[in-house]
Amino acid sequence: MLQNAEVFTLTYGSIVRQLISDFEDIEEVNKQLEQMGYNMGIRLVDEFLAKAKITRCSSFRDTADVVAKQALPMFLNVSANVANWSPDQTECSLVLTDNPLADFVELPEEYRELKYCNVLAGVVRGALEMVNMEVECRWVSDMLKGDDCYELRIKLKEHRDEKFPFKDDD
Amino acid sequence: MKMGIICVAFIGPQNNPIYLRSMDPATDDQYLKLHYIVHCALDAVEEKVLLKRGPGDSQDAYLGLLYPTEDYRVYGYLTNTHVKIILLLDDEAPIKDEAVLRVLRRLHSLYVDTTSNPFHKFGLPITSPRFDAQLEQIVALYPRPGASLGGFTT
Repeated sequence: MLQNAEVFTLTYGSIVRQLISDFEDIEEVNKQLEQMGYNMGIRLVDEFLAKAKITRCSSFRDTADVVAKQALPMFLNVSANVANWSPDQTECSLVLTDNPLADFVELPEEYRELKYCNVLAGVVRGALEMVNMEVECRWVSDMLKGDDCYELRIKLKEHRDEKFPFKDDD
Repeated sequence: MKMGIICVAFIGPQNNPIYLRSMDPATDDQYLKLHYIVHCALDAVEEKVLLKRGPGDSQDAYLGLLYPTEDYRVYGYLTNTHVKIILLLDDEAPIKDEAVLRVLRRLHSLYVDTTSNPFHKFGLPITSPRFDAQLEQIVALYPRPGASLGGFTT
């Protein structure tokens, strides 16, 4: 697994470069990265649930812990901490001190609005949507911009009940 | 004041300057002189390369002492992508090849990390502040003249 890490980092870097040259507008690139992440997340969640053998999460708090301590290490090889819970337990932060996506990266001045790791925000949103949690993810800290960690703020908007595709009483 | 490493230069495969840094705050005159010495060093590099590429010679990156000028000694290192790293030293004491080689290897490694940045543009001079800072750290590791020889830690 580890020897693929550099190929993975360089591939992601190329994707970001290509998006910038295709779209030119940085905000649009941020949206594209998030959308890519979303498409990955809706597929990754099944693989994760198949491999991780965890029981049902009883609360959003549990979910956040599972994402930080099991999902991220499985896919990205890094562990994150959950912090900064809001009083009503619907909002929290995923804090990473190490991010393989951004190894070797130095963000030039002209791209200071770029959310380089936005694909992760999309992955979390997509994955949680598939388990009936609608969330909003945004970056509040970014080491590429001089902060001391990567902090992704996750806000739970709606927890939908399980929807079955057909009615039982037919 | 004797400083050890005076100047570090990276030259690209088309002999285009990628980075030239004087470790000593130099005046404009000095700067031109350094440019000139590095330029001459490129010829010495080509010579050495031609000599070395005889049958059965190993293709080493480290080229060793290229030539001594009145004030400095010039050391060269050629990567397999034809990027040249030139080091100017003004140390009069006998210089240990391994120490210079260690510095050159670290500089090579720094160059590789910097070019792995997806926003790096090949062929253009390196302007990254991170590169500057890390280069200073590497140069600081080279033992100053008069320092005890056992002071170099890898």
